[in-house]
Amino acid sequence: MFRTPTAYYLRRAAQGTVQLALPFVVVAVLWEGFAVFGPFPPRLFPRIEAIASAFVRLMVSGILPLHTLETLLRLAVGFLLGAVVGVTLGMLMGRYRWAEDLFVPLVSVGNPIPGLAYAPLFVLWFGLGNLPAVLLVGFSVTFPVVVNTWTGVKAVKPLWIRAAETMGASDRQLFRKVVLPGALPYVLTGLRLGLARAWRVVIAVEMLTSVSIGLGWLIFGAREFLNTDVMLAGIAVIGLVGLGLEKLVFERIERYTVVRWGMLQR
Amino acid sequence: MKRSAIGIIASFGVAALVWEAFARSGLFSSALSPSLAVIVPALIQMIVRGTIFVHVGYTLYRILWGLGLAALVGVPVGILMGRFKAVEGFVLPLVSVLSPIPSLAWVPVFILWFGLGDAASVALVFYAATFPIILNTWTGVRSVNRIWVRAAETMGAGAGDLFRKVVLPGSLPFVIAGLRQAFARSWIAVVGGEMIAATSWGLGWVIFDSKEFLRTDVMLSTLVIIGFLGLAFERFIFQAVERRTVARWGMVRTAGT
Repeated sequence: MFRTPTAYYLRRAAQGTVQLALPFVVVAVLWEGFAVFGPFPPRLFPRIEAIASAFVRLMVSGILPLHTLETLLRLAVGFLLGAVVGVTLGMLMGRYRWAEDLFVPLVSVGNPIPGLAYAPLFVLWFGLGNLPAVLLVGFSVTFPVVVNTWTGVKAVKPLWIRAAETMGASDRQLFRKVVLPGALPYVLTGLRLGLARAWRVVIAVEMLTSVSIGLGWLIFGAREFLNTDVMLAGIAVIGLVGLGLEKLVFERIERYTVVRWGMLQR
Repeated sequence: MKRSAIGIIASFGVAALVWEAFARSGLFSSALSPSLAVIVPALIQMIVRGTIFVHVGYTLYRILWGLGLAALVGVPVGILMGRFKAVEGFVLPLVSVLSPIPSLAWVPVFILWFGLGDAASVALVFYAATFPIILNTWTGVRSVNRIWVRAAETMGAGAGDLFRKVVLPGSLPFVIAGLRQAFARSWIAVVGGEMIAATSWGLGWVIFDSKEFLRTDVMLSTLVIIGFLGLAFERFIFQAVERRTVARWGMVRTAGT
């Protein structure tokens, strides 16, 4: 049936592509149908050509990349802030009883409050713009990181700690060589959840604190002018970046660290 | 997470002291960081007047509609994905592309489509809640032990029985986990949505509206209420459901997390 292996693999690849493309094609057709025959005027529900051309236009003119870069920068700074605070606090809670007693009740009440709910308060405290946005992202990242780091430190097998102590490990060695690698899978889970949360928050907070550049702001601002095509193009970029963060950043970190150390099979 | 009552009181006591010190330090004016002597009466007043219950009611109404619709769509889709390869191949790419888009990014679009008010908020909650439910249900159905399915088939279970008595209970721990995750996300979506797609009621709206009048005491009271409501949902509703169903059937250990 297949004359050469190459032809076989080409055909397999083609089949895979078709299978992957099919759902998007169906959705696109439905979208077009709704845009043309649906109750919304094209201004509110643009056709795909309009969205695509807005996307290309904004990409070429550099507007979309600029906004994306700003948002990513804000995300990175806020995330790092939250990660450092969260890991430190979580480690303290895992190692010291007083820290645990002090922070666990606060974290359990603070965790279910959406970080976004603090946005108006942060705006009053820190003014509009970048500072409240970054702080809010950091704040929302802190909670999942704290909870997971704390769980992780507690989950380190006591046997390992005792073994290391018996072999004369100092406090610092114990921490660096036993507790840290032992807790790392949990810490990474926390960071991953934190990044997902940060990504959700950063977009929304940009709408609320009126930063001057950013994807959330781009979408929000476009509403004033009824530029639905720009809004949808912005949402498409947000989706792509979100997918990229998940696939490229975290799966890779996990491969290089915990999987390599044999802490986790993948 | 069992902690003595004394520990909990001490923890909140320390937090209250830190806040009080921060409020009186003059770092921010007292209008921006009110002392507890201002916040607590505001909280009590909101409760006595009953306004807070109306806000809570509106927020819960939006969440329950959105979450209910999401469960109604998400669970069947997840089950179909787990049972039929074709459905999985079709839905999975869409879900993996749509799910990383924060629901709040859709707010401006939803406002244009559905207008300000309840419909936009419900649509937002629906968007936020659907994907975790789909993904978890799908995982749950796939994780149902093969042997159970084969055993039931051997004993002559029909497709209906197989589904009702094996697949559904077998995947329930994941479905509940999905609902939990969906609730956490809806909670964020509804508060954010109410802030932006403002109507005139709802917890998110109160916070946002208080900013205009510099009522930081009302904002902070509402934040406290949001925190305790979220915690109550997690502790009382989800854990109770878990205990009544999957834990009683011996599917999971009573999850304390």
